[in-house]
Amino acid sequence: MLAPAPGEALRVEMLVAEGDRVAQGEPILRLRHFPDCALTAPMPAQVARVDLAPGHRLAAITLFREAGAGRFEHARGAAADDAAALRGFLQGAGVWRAIRSRPFGRVPGPGEAPRAIVVMGFDTRPGAPDPRRALAGREEAFEAGLAALARLTDGPVFLCQDRGAPLAGAADGRVRIVRNAAIHPWGMAGFQVHRLCPAAPGRPVWDIDAEDAAGIGDLLATGLVPETRLVALSGPALRAGRLVRCQPGADLRSLVRAHVVPGPARILSGSALDGREARWLGPRDRQVTVLGGAPPRPARHWFVAALDRAARPLPLIPTAALDQALGRALPAMPFLRALAAGDEETLARLGGLSLLPEDLALADYVTAAEPKLSRQFAALLDRIAAEETG
Amino acid sequence: MIRGIWDRETVALILVAALAPVAVLWLAEARGAGAVRLVSFVLTIGILHLLFMLARAQPPSAAALVTALALAVFTPEGLGPVQLLLGIAFGVVTAELAFGGWGRNILNPATVALAFLGFGFPAAPWPDVAVQVGWAALPALAFGVLAGVMPGGVVAGAALALGAASALGLPLGPAVPALLAGLALLVCDPVASASTPLGRWLNGALFGGLAAAFLAGWDGAHPVQIVVSAALLAALAAPLLDEIAIALWLYRRRRRLG
Repeated sequence: MLAPAPGEALRVEMLVAEGDRVAQGEPILRLRHFPDCALTAPMPAQVARVDLAPGHRLAAITLFREAGAGRFEHARGAAADDAAALRGFLQGAGVWRAIRSRPFGRVPGPGEAPRAIVVMGFDTRPGAPDPRRALAGREEAFEAGLAALARLTDGPVFLCQDRGAPLAGAADGRVRIVRNAAIHPWGMAGFQVHRLCPAAPGRPVWDIDAEDAAGIGDLLATGLVPETRLVALSGPALRAGRLVRCQPGADLRSLVRAHVVPGPARILSGSALDGREARWLGPRDRQVTVLGGAPPRPARHWFVAALDRAARPLPLIPTAALDQALGRALPAMPFLRALAAGDEETLARLGGLSLLPEDLALADYVTAAEPKLSRQFAALLDRIAAEETG
Repeated sequence: MIRGIWDRETVALILVAALAPVAVLWLAEARGAGAVRLVSFVLTIGILHLLFMLARAQPPSAAALVTALALAVFTPEGLGPVQLLLGIAFGVVTAELAFGGWGRNILNPATVALAFLGFGFPAAPWPDVAVQVGWAALPALAFGVLAGVMPGGVVAGAALALGAASALGLPLGPAVPALLAGLALLVCDPVASASTPLGRWLNGALFGGLAAAFLAGWDGAHPVQIVVSAALLAALAAPLLDEIAIALWLYRRRRRLG
């Protein structure tokens, strides 16, 4: 299943039709406003169904696995030497979409030159897979990927990792290793960007997961798009947590069916904090959380329910928990007050443009805020983005 | 998708739990009259919360118990019911309920009510805070700071300023119980104190510094009067201290990151 990330509108030009056989890694569609950027098939497959919304907007493309279709080898050309050719190569192979540009968390535009690139070599979300496992045995590819990323920017490449052994030798002076205590939320790229090199309109900062960086190294070495990614299955409704390697866009129900305890369950693509109920693995997600069925809502008196609704947004009390939820990286209460008041300028001044809604998921969890802080933040970011681009 | 528990009422209940030792020791000392006073204050503030719930759909909060305890400990003695009602209603309504309830206010309602009673009825004598109530404030502060519902920076800043004053030869002795109880009940309100790390230290230091200055230079003032005045002025300055802290933070960040 290929689908846009939530909230993303992709106007596309199809390169295949329903019923076609596609090899793994073969381009399936191109973006209309950015024709060099392709989306590729995650597995050898037959195109079962193409759902386009009006205006050639991608809704979803469903693929059925077809083992005999093989793997597609992308022509490498001058990608190993020339930065422009490297960009074109990554865009054509579909791995460009693994990179995320801040502010606003979009796929980087064709000619965008980042101030810095942050490679996330650790993940602190509850139940997240350890990138060390994903990188085990792929050290050379990872080094090659980091070197390729360094060619995309004039600024530094920060490799953020935990306090363990270094994930990559600093063979190239451009790659700087940043060590952190593995405490949530410091494993979120937003807080690393905020600390190392704040993003601002006109001064984008990219972030990419370490496994995807290794994928870029593999792609440059062989011309083949990586087939799978390491995904952690966790959650209270699973008999035991486990790690699997599966395609991006995999069917979550078949992925967890054998391991889930009997009874109703909710499958989230993403962690328990920031995941969404989904049928398919999201484009960037590396974990699947299975929660028990929705808890029975205690019957509330209509008057209490009405009072609760009238008091929204619920007041936030500055506690140590709230400071911790924002990593003590920024003045938490002034930031959240600016967010609640829709004050874009203060939000940007305090570093809000380095963050994305997912970075506030922990604050949402901690404060039980209503409406969710991450949702308010997403709306405010959209508004800032519209002002910047419009 | 999963939700935590640190919403407003949880924080209010943890505050109440933290202040329980103060309540117990104060009741042990004030006995029946104190109990009547505390219950009548709880009822008065509760009725005000209910009025605002019916008129403006503001959910009542357990923080009313903290306000009632602070008022019961510090209210001047010898005031009649009408005077008390006037003072409490002024503090609770203008400092808390008119802003939308606990969590949206900018001043501690108990501080405002006490300041109003102090200004309005200067002839009424301030109560003496018993030594054991002052000592009970220490575990209350420790528990509140450990649980994260009281700002540790405020306590540290106040301790620093008062310690410095004491080292300079200011006799704190008789005012210590009132200072400790005031710190726990009035100053360490998470909502009304400063909310940035540096701002909290400054907030606490300002409270301690003002209290020390009043002790040194305000002849004839009762310790509770000094504590209430210092708490009110420190709370009024909290937004300014936050602004200073944020400006410094931004300046340092700009220098480091460009």
